[in-house]
Amino acid sequence: MIGVVLEQRPQMIVRAAEGDAHAFAALIEPLLNPAYRLAAVMLADRSAAEDAVQEASIKAWRKLGQLRGDAGSLRSWFLSIVANECRMFRRQRWFSVVKVAEVLPLPGTRDHFDDTSTDLKTALLKLSPDERLPLVLYFYLDLPLDEVARTLGLSPAAAKSRIYRTARKLRSDLTLEEVI
Amino acid sequence: MTREDFRRELGDAMDSISGSPDPALPERVRAALVHSPEQRGPVWIGALAAAVIAVILVGVLLVGNPLNRGRSVPGGVGQVTPTPCCPSFPTPAPTPSPSASPFVCVSGPMTVTTGAPAPPLGLIDALRTGSHVGYDRITIEFKDVRTGTIKVTPQANTKFVMDGSGATVTLAGKYGLLIKITGADNHTAFSGSTDIKTLQFPEILEVRRVGDFEGVVQWGVGLSSIACYQATILTGPTRLVIDVRNN
Repeated sequence: MIGVVLEQRPQMIVRAAEGDAHAFAALIEPLLNPAYRLAAVMLADRSAAEDAVQEASIKAWRKLGQLRGDAGSLRSWFLSIVANECRMFRRQRWFSVVKVAEVLPLPGTRDHFDDTSTDLKTALLKLSPDERLPLVLYFYLDLPLDEVARTLGLSPAAAKSRIYRTARKLRSDLTLEEVI
Repeated sequence: MTREDFRRELGDAMDSISGSPDPALPERVRAALVHSPEQRGPVWIGALAAAVIAVILVGVLLVGNPLNRGRSVPGGVGQVTPTPCCPSFPTPAPTPSPSASPFVCVSGPMTVTTGAPAPPLGLIDALRTGSHVGYDRITIEFKDVRTGTIKVTPQANTKFVMDGSGATVTLAGKYGLLIKITGADNHTAFSGSTDIKTLQFPEILEVRRVGDFEGVVQWGVGLSSIACYQATILTGPTRLVIDVRNN
C-alpha cells in the first residue's frame, strides 16, 4: 500500500491540488503514524496529538500550493506543519493546565520499559517541546540529517549541532560520535 | 554507550510517551479533509470574514445580554457565557508562560452556540471519552458545522430523567452534568454506544444518552466530584469538547 502511494505521489499531488480530498488523504496516510508520534512526544498528550495531526492535515491540504520541491519533500513539509500545530496547541489554554502532562499508563497494562528508559523519559519530558523536536525527528522517526534540517528549517550543520546539544541535555557524557 | 544503544533507549522512552496512534486516525483525518471546506482564496478573504463574524458576535453579546458579561472561555468559535468559577476548586497555579491563562472553571450552567444556521438538525456522529493529566474529556462530534444550541448544567446528583419515557436513571458517581443540545439528532448518523462506563477515569465515570427526541439530545454524565468543567466548540470536524478537571 505504502509503496503504491509512494509511486503514485506526483499524480496524487496533482489531484489533491485540484481539490481532491481523497487523493490528499491517501497521499498523507503513510505520514500519519510518524506525524502522530512526533506530536505525541512534543505534546506528551496522546489525545491532543491526534487532534493536532488532524488539524495539521487540514492546514496542509489548504497550503498544498506552498509545497516546494518534488514529492520527496512532502514528508518534511508535512512534519513541519505538524510541529507548528503542536506549538499552537501548546499556546492554547489547556497547556496552561497540563503544562507538564505526562501520559499515564492505562489501568491493567504493564510498563515494559526498564528504569533506564524511565529515567530518560523523565529527562525527555523536562525538555521543552521544541527541544524534543530534533530528537524525535532524528532518533525516533529515523529521518536522515538533511530531512531533519529541512523540517526544522535549518542548515544540516545547524540541525546536527542542535541534535547533539539537546542529546547532551539528556546525557551529559555523550560524545558527538555517540550521537550522530 | 554506542550510537545504536542511545537511539534504542531514546526510542523506548519516546515509545512510552507516544504509544500507538488510534487505528481510526487515518479515517478520522480523511473524514475531516472531506468535510473541511477547501480554502484556497487569498488570506485577506478569510481574515475579513473572521473580522465580520467577530463584530457580529460581539454585537450580539452586547445587545442581547448586557448584564451578564461572564468571562469567556477562549479557544473555540462559539460564544460562551459561563457562571463564575466554583469557589471550592482553586484555580491552578499560574504558569510562567506569559501566554498561559488559568483554568477558567465553570460550576453553573453554560450555553454554547455557533453562528451556524439553525435548521436542519445538527447530526451527532460520534462520542468519545478520554482521561488525561488534569482533566477527563468528553468529545461529541457533529457530522457537519451545525450543532444546535448546547447547554451544560451541573447537578448535585447522578439522577437523570429519560426524555420520552420519563423514567429516572442513576448513573455512576455522586455528581452530574447534563448536556442538552437543542436542534440536534443523535440517531441518524450515530452508531456508537449510548451508555459508556468509564469507571477507571478519576472524574467522569459514566456518560449516558438520556434523550434524543424531537430535535433535543441530552446526555447525562456521572462524575465522582462536583463539576468543574470547561466546554468548547472545535472545528474540523465540528465537535463539542467538555473537559472536567480531575485533580
